[in-house]
Amino acid sequence: MTKIHSTVRVKSVLSIAVVFVAVIMVASYLGAQTTIPNKSISNESQMAVRIVAEGTTRGVVACSRCHGFDGASDGSGAFPRLDGQSAQYLADQLRRFASGDRQNALMQPIARALKDDEINAVSQYYASVHAVPIPSRPVPAQLRDRGRQVAEVGDLSVRVQACESCHGPNGEGEPVSGVPYLGGQYSHYITVQIRMFRQGYRKSQQMIVPAHNLSEQDITAVAAYFEQASAPAVK
Amino acid sequence: MPQTLKEVDVVVIGVGFAGSILAKELAASGLKVVGLERGHSRHSVPDFQAPAIHDELKYSIRKGMMQDVTREAMTFRNHYREVALPMRQWEAFLPGTGLGGCGVHWNGQSWRYHEEEFIYKTHIEQRYGKKILDPDLRIQDWGVTYQELEPYYDRFEYLLGVCGKAGNLNGKIEAGGNPLEAPRSREYPNPPMKEQYSGALFRKAASELGYHPFLQPSANSTRPYTNPEGLTLNPCVYCGFCERYGCEHFAKASPQTVILPVLMKNPNFELRTESQVLRINLDSTGKKATGVSYMDAHGREFEQPASLVLLTAFALNDVRMLLLSGIGKPYEPTTETGVVGRNYAYQTQSYVPTFLGEDVHLNSYMAGGASGTVIDDFSVDNFDHSSLGFIGGCYVLCGSTNARPVEFHPTPPGTPRWGRKWKDAVRQHYNHTAIFNLSGTSTSMRGNYLDLDPTYRDAWGLPLLRITFDFPDNDVRMSRFVTHKASEIARQMGAKIVVDSPRTGPFTTTSYQSTHNTGGAVIGADPSTSVVNRYCQSWDVPNVFVVGACNYPQNSSYNPTLTLGALIYWTADALKTRYLKRPGPLV
Repeated sequence: MTKIHSTVRVKSVLSIAVVFVAVIMVASYLGAQTTIPNKSISNESQMAVRIVAEGTTRGVVACSRCHGFDGASDGSGAFPRLDGQSAQYLADQLRRFASGDRQNALMQPIARALKDDEINAVSQYYASVHAVPIPSRPVPAQLRDRGRQVAEVGDLSVRVQACESCHGPNGEGEPVSGVPYLGGQYSHYITVQIRMFRQGYRKSQQMIVPAHNLSEQDITAVAAYFEQASAPAVK
Repeated sequence: MPQTLKEVDVVVIGVGFAGSILAKELAASGLKVVGLERGHSRHSVPDFQAPAIHDELKYSIRKGMMQDVTREAMTFRNHYREVALPMRQWEAFLPGTGLGGCGVHWNGQSWRYHEEEFIYKTHIEQRYGKKILDPDLRIQDWGVTYQELEPYYDRFEYLLGVCGKAGNLNGKIEAGGNPLEAPRSREYPNPPMKEQYSGALFRKAASELGYHPFLQPSANSTRPYTNPEGLTLNPCVYCGFCERYGCEHFAKASPQTVILPVLMKNPNFELRTESQVLRINLDSTGKKATGVSYMDAHGREFEQPASLVLLTAFALNDVRMLLLSGIGKPYEPTTETGVVGRNYAYQTQSYVPTFLGEDVHLNSYMAGGASGTVIDDFSVDNFDHSSLGFIGGCYVLCGSTNARPVEFHPTPPGTPRWGRKWKDAVRQHYNHTAIFNLSGTSTSMRGNYLDLDPTYRDAWGLPLLRITFDFPDNDVRMSRFVTHKASEIARQMGAKIVVDSPRTGPFTTTSYQSTHNTGGAVIGADPSTSVVNRYCQSWDVPNVFVVGACNYPQNSSYNPTLTLGALIYWTADALKTRYLKRPGPLV
């Protein structure tokens, strides 16, 4: 008699445990995907969440399709990490996509279809979310050290100042002035963007000379260094 | 026993703007040039990189880029009846040191002088008569004209990539620039800096009062710029750490960014840093330099023989070097004999702190070194002095070069100097106060001069430079008048508090004014009142040239650097096309 009861009890404890763990996993998954700041949800935030989740009727594709709800996207580096990025910077880039100042076949039509207050809203949204950091790819020590040298000190022979002179220690960025963080950004994305500056698809008076002067190898090195530099905290 | 080195063609003493450019020009002509710099070698990377360079305590407060007073100070007194004492700390002016000199830590404010300034004595006496001059004032003509220097101003501006808008293009007045400026032959190489909010408010008020505001010309680039030497500058990011700091962005025009890389590539040039030049050596006639003696970092003395010596060690050091070397007769103020040290002048600065109200957010920390909106209506002789009883004037500049946390705490008069009330006042006024900067002429005076101190010596046992200076009463009257005019503009801006703060005497070395020390090795047509001729060549020792603000017979309203640049290229030309072909007196 006792034996049967205890067997049943173990089974139900087990299944409860399984359900419990499943709930925790779903909850934490959901939590990771949709961390919204702990303020009362304003109209702007509601609008932002709608656009991120569903897009708009004027042809804006849902941001989350490529960038995810947490801004981390798929980790490939084809799409940048947006989480915790300077809202000022994100809004500025959307406006540059809209004007054609920044060329990108995917983002330009989306940005053009966004209204001004929608730009501000989605920028604030991604500025305030915090993704679980995806482990970065292993990088050869020599490459990372060269990357650190250029990032922290610069290279006199090609007249390039330290990246961190503008992008901050560990590439943490300067959110208020709209300087984007590089720390924790995908190395592939950084590499492509430097090329975009060099070739004129992105226009920046500050970036054009470093983009032009850095060798391909050094671009790879700084990109690798920054990907594994500590990611910014949510502000 | 000093070691005698192998002879070279040229020794350059001090490798700042003047030394770098002259060395480059002569090395490129095929001469063997040695540059002796007493300070350390330093470069944009790694020495000027952020965040380490943005260390206000190290560089602003403790004067990290300045001459080491524990080894080489200067003594000071207001009047020759007094005993001069050593300056243990730099405050009023900040002589630099190190490769690149002051060109590393200057602000980039880039001004040409007016045409009449080069014939100042003739012009003033013609316009107002001799009676306007107080008896002790000693203004002089330069012996070289603006028209002769114009192409060299242009060359220096394009080397630096100066950013501005021409106001007078070959006689035609252009909108957006300074309508009162001397005519220039072509437009600036780069467009002006962005206007700050305080400057925009000033522009509106100054225009309403009938003045002519424009953006101050700047040697901190506004866009990527490649100069005629093939070197590229990056745009300024308005970081607010310009004066007293090196630039991490290759944006500030300094010898490191605009000329040194080209100079260093030339095998005809050799740079020796940490080399303290003790004197220029002369032969037995005393009329020919044989080279220089210097000491290296290990304390070893060397003799470097050379056929030509260029003294480019900064105005004050140049005069001292001439005195230590026995070149030219030292000036004596009571008898007014001699020339070396004569006509020392400075700058007559004043301020108008202007509190605009807590709803006006200025964000003054977003600043480049030459940021600011300015009027030229009250500079030098741009206005009629007939009934005013003084000569000279100031430019009136509104903008900020910084709002750094240690240095910038504007509070209204009457605020306690510490404690709760002080903190409250700083919080209330920090982001809402604009400070007008008035930079005024400094008129040379009989009793203001430089010589060697009889008592105090440097770490090498050599007498320190002694500075005898006070503001002439003329300049005090001038400052009162123009500062009052500036205060009117501040009130027109709708300011809640305006602090009219003219310069009053006596001059003290204990509060910062500027490092625009001029004179002492004055340029001129008359050897009895000048140290160098119109080609910056010593009247006494023809194979010594002296190029620095020490050449200026009196100081203008304007920052001296651009005019020095014109003199540098003018002298380079004289050396290459005249002196080297036939060494000897050019006049």
